[in-house]
Amino acid sequence: MNNNFEKLQISLLRLFFTLSIIFFILTLFGTSPLKVFDSIIYGSLGSYSKLIRTLIVWGPISMASIALIYTFSAGMWNIGIEGQIIMGAVGATLIARSFLGDTFISPYVQIIFAIGFGGVWGLICGLLKVKGNVHEIFSGLGLDFVASGIVIYLIIGPWKREGIASTSGTDIFDKASWIPTIGQNEFPLLLIILILILYILSFVVLKYTSFGLRLKATGVNELATQRFYFSSSTFILLSFFIAGSIAGLAGFSQASGAYHKLVPSISGGFGFLSILIVLICSRNIYFTFIVSFFFSALIVGGSQLQIRLGLDHSLIGIIQATFVLSWLIFEKLKLEEPLLKKVFRSNK
Amino acid sequence: MKIEIKNISKTFGDLIANSEISISINNGIHALLGENGAGKSTLVKIISGQIAPDQGEILIDDKSLLLGSPKQSIESGIGLLNQDPLDFGNLSVLETFLVGIKDQNPFRKLNKTKQSISDLFKKYKIKIDFSERTNNFSIGERQQIELLRLLYNGAKLIVLDEPTSAFSLEQKKMMFNTLRSLSNEGIIIIFVSHKLDEIMELCDSGTILKSGKVVHSITKPFNSKEIIGKMFENTDSLVKNDKDFSSSEYFNISVSNNDLLEKEKKYLEIKFPYGSVIGIAGLQGSSNDLYIKNFFTKDLSETKITLDSNNKISKKSFYYMPADRVERGLFRDLNVLEHFGLYKASESKILNWGKIKDIASKKISEFNIKAKFSNEVSELSGGNQQRLMLSLMPEVKSILLLEQPTRGLDLNSAQNIWETILSRKSKDIAIIFSSTDIDEIWDYSDIILSVSGRFIVNIDYKKNLTKEKIINYVSGIV
Repeated sequence: MNNNFEKLQISLLRLFFTLSIIFFILTLFGTSPLKVFDSIIYGSLGSYSKLIRTLIVWGPISMASIALIYTFSAGMWNIGIEGQIIMGAVGATLIARSFLGDTFISPYVQIIFAIGFGGVWGLICGLLKVKGNVHEIFSGLGLDFVASGIVIYLIIGPWKREGIASTSGTDIFDKASWIPTIGQNEFPLLLIILILILYILSFVVLKYTSFGLRLKATGVNELATQRFYFSSSTFILLSFFIAGSIAGLAGFSQASGAYHKLVPSISGGFGFLSILIVLICSRNIYFTFIVSFFFSALIVGGSQLQIRLGLDHSLIGIIQATFVLSWLIFEKLKLEEPLLKKVFRSNK
Repeated sequence: MKIEIKNISKTFGDLIANSEISISINNGIHALLGENGAGKSTLVKIISGQIAPDQGEILIDDKSLLLGSPKQSIESGIGLLNQDPLDFGNLSVLETFLVGIKDQNPFRKLNKTKQSISDLFKKYKIKIDFSERTNNFSIGERQQIELLRLLYNGAKLIVLDEPTSAFSLEQKKMMFNTLRSLSNEGIIIIFVSHKLDEIMELCDSGTILKSGKVVHSITKPFNSKEIIGKMFENTDSLVKNDKDFSSSEYFNISVSNNDLLEKEKKYLEIKFPYGSVIGIAGLQGSSNDLYIKNFFTKDLSETKITLDSNNKISKKSFYYMPADRVERGLFRDLNVLEHFGLYKASESKILNWGKIKDIASKKISEFNIKAKFSNEVSELSGGNQQRLMLSLMPEVKSILLLEQPTRGLDLNSAQNIWETILSRKSKDIAIIFSSTDIDEIWDYSDIILSVSGRFIVNIDYKKNLTKEKIINYVSGIV
């Protein structure tokens, strides 16, 4: 208990430092940091419909982050996450464009296909690692390019819109293939349920199952796993398959929840963004939950910057990058702990 | 050239590594002998400038050498040839020479430099293609290239720190020839080894170290009995393996032909009673650890353990404990409790942390591990890491495979650990351990398997052996 409380204190202090740096940099740009954050908060949470837009972004980012927690636990750098998201979206689109596309079961079949497509794409990376000794960063990067290529081919080739071949995307899906929503504001209930299930399930799996512990051990020291009667290769493969499956789900959410069609940049760069999120959170699920929401709010709220303050949308990229870099630097410097101890000692 | 080492002392914390060592060498090949921990490596590091001694001095041709500076040592003509070749694997031989060259601007007169390097190779009759990558050569060839590189840069005194541990017989012969011709040219060679046969073959004089002190100086002709007597301490240990255990059940060790020395090739299968303690003796750098590992992984050789009843031994009957605790044995960033969790993970899919905590606290007190649940393994001392590994031994009848179970531990911890291990004697199928310490082998084993280089030289009950015999076996004097 005490230990956790201390960790929380350290994190809050680190958050304070990090935000201070962001404020400082925003001031350097000649803008008021308070106004910027006010716009972001207004733009992302200011109304019910804005909140829903934030949730739709939070969905895939959360899923990709959870996916990465599995591979990071096994000590693997799953750069191929983007490709896995893309292939998930391809799987979902395949169903949305099929004869099932206008039936109510379409989203559910899409989920299965998205999981399958993403999972297989992740598994390729794992197999190359385990069987071919190819570093996962290189194979992941390669497979990202291949997945992008496949999507573009599909959009201007077999899945092109009637009469025109453009990279603006496929035809909009039939409404039955969209992620089911409820109410007038189209609250994406299925998506939220999926995310919450994933968070809870992953928490339990990583903390309370021998699978989770063995995954973590694989990441720490592959050489010692045999002594504890399990094979690190199996666990690396499983981690890639699980990560790919969950990333595929993120692709489904992008295709059927956000765009309602397949577009070339279907992953939205959320895979790479999630790598940063998981790094900041050091694989902690609670933190991932919060930080991924924070980043989603930044992305959605960022559109307000131009309208309200006349600032370019790219400022969001600067805020994100500053946040990640300063956080990681503070984490390495470990200034917070001695500082806290000093404060507490002087109180006594 | 002449080197005088005067009163060198060095301590690390409580450990006295070198204590008032004085050696003077004028010429020839000088052996530095001693068992593990005798202080040889520390002395080598002091001579080559890698560490500074607490006191003492080194005179090169009556001039005092600035200690603790590798640059000074090199400039004074001291060259160190490491146990493993310290070269740049993906550079070509020529590039390796150029990287550390003493010449100014070697690239400006590259042809001339090339010529003088190739002259040097010719002189020592070493045929090597300069443009080939260093990686493509065998360890022995790389060591020879290193040796010539040292010479090229003006080394007049060359220290070889157990250079032959990875050599084939032929490579060793070549190396020894080179060394001898160097010595004839007046270059002093300090040869660090504990392989008696090599020293008898190669060296002219020698110094024996024990517990950091010079105990004896020797000159040719050598008396191997005398050397052995001085090198190995005769300390009696407190814990004895005296429980004479006889069981009616038997297991076999079947030794593959490939693991036996050529002259006595025969497929060996020997029966031993359950509960036997088998010590695999071998010098540092020999394959004794690999044999332990092989019983578990079965990927290095055909030598294996079988049960008399022809039952297959399940993987979980083996408990393998590697010598490098943190590199291969434990998970450095996992905490103590998580290790017990991992142990339980092979039994059930869901982890009941409450139950694991109960087991862990029981084991922690039983094995006297000084650690909290939340301590990461990297924070524990070597002894505690070792006890943690021991505490994870299965409760059921097992075959314990222990690689140097007391490596790097002080006497107390070591005794403690032996007490624990021997208390399992009546329960286990077999306890197999490796050690480079002949006394440890002698004190705790029922059966002794002697390994020299990568070959098994002898397997026998302790009662048929003597300590001297074992020392001869492992030193390669059969």
